[in-house]
Amino acid sequence: MVAALSIAWTLPALAARPRAQPGMPAPDFALRALAGPNVRLSEHIGQVVVMSFWGAGCDACRAQLEALEQDFSRYGRQGLRVYGVEVADDQAEALHFARGTHVTFPLLLDPAKGVARRYDVDNLPMTVLIDRDGKIRQVVRDFNETSRRACEDELRKLLAE
Amino acid sequence: MPEVPLPHARRPAGRCLIVKVALLAALAALAAAPAAFAQTPAPGAAVDEQVQSLKSDVLDLNRDLFVLEQELLYPANTQVAVFVSMDAGTFFGLDSVQLKIDGKEVANYLYTPREVHSLVQGGVQRLYVGNLKVGKHQLVAFFTGKGPHDLDYTRGATLNFQKDIGAKYLELTISDDQKKLQPEFRIKDWD
Repeated sequence: MVAALSIAWTLPALAARPRAQPGMPAPDFALRALAGPNVRLSEHIGQVVVMSFWGAGCDACRAQLEALEQDFSRYGRQGLRVYGVEVADDQAEALHFARGTHVTFPLLLDPAKGVARRYDVDNLPMTVLIDRDGKIRQVVRDFNETSRRACEDELRKLLAE
Repeated sequence: MPEVPLPHARRPAGRCLIVKVALLAALAALAAAPAAFAQTPAPGAAVDEQVQSLKSDVLDLNRDLFVLEQELLYPANTQVAVFVSMDAGTFFGLDSVQLKIDGKEVANYLYTPREVHSLVQGGVQRLYVGNLKVGKHQLVAFFTGKGPHDLDYTRGATLNFQKDIGAKYLELTISDDQKKLQPEFRIKDWD
């Protein structure tokens, strides 16, 4: 009886709990890449991971991916991993968009949007910084000069840890 | 007049002896000090030991809870588990496995190169664990990946099996058919 009551009390709280917030373990996933091998997040424990959710036809997403390309070329040797995760309804359009970007890090396909749901993507571009322990450190739901600088500062801190 | 030794004339020698004894005692105490320190644990070390012990207890508890959870979720009478193994893998580069039991998708797993390497090295993966009623059931597995000549390759394997009281273990095996130079997909029933 007590157990049933405690479960009944806990379940709504769990359901209402935000899925991806700073401090929480980053939800694991495995996705196909546009080019290259499949990627599983949990295989990158010990590395700093940046995930950028992007969509086709989103100019800010393009700018965000290009900014991340700079970070990747600068900090890649220090253990930084960058992944662009597409959140698009039209796969063909997404592929066309991806080919137009000049990034060297893997672009991952999330056709079922399962990963986007787990990370509560409600704005594009959205960037998630994950520390070496696999915990979410920062979620940036915009892309502008201020957010870019804040993101880069946090990235440096994460790489120094 | 005979010289009478004065009591105070002996004093320096006595004092010297006392000083020597005191010095020896002090040296002995100093020499024994490291051993004494080593025997008495530092407060930090004690806390560290307690933390390690607590960690160990938490890990044990976590393991027990996991076992209990598994037993509750998948009782031995109804349990069905599906494993994946890979032999050689020369003719097939595994990308994903989709699993259906009685027409219902129960697992869809995407493999990374590291996971495929582990399988090729002899690892066995538990792909699915669930519950099934006693009776006849059908398991269908779809394997996708790269076949010979690096071409996209999709193959299926089906097994009709009888679930009795007791756990049922099934294994999806991927091996190389050296005669046909093709991959071979089979489902083995461990009974």
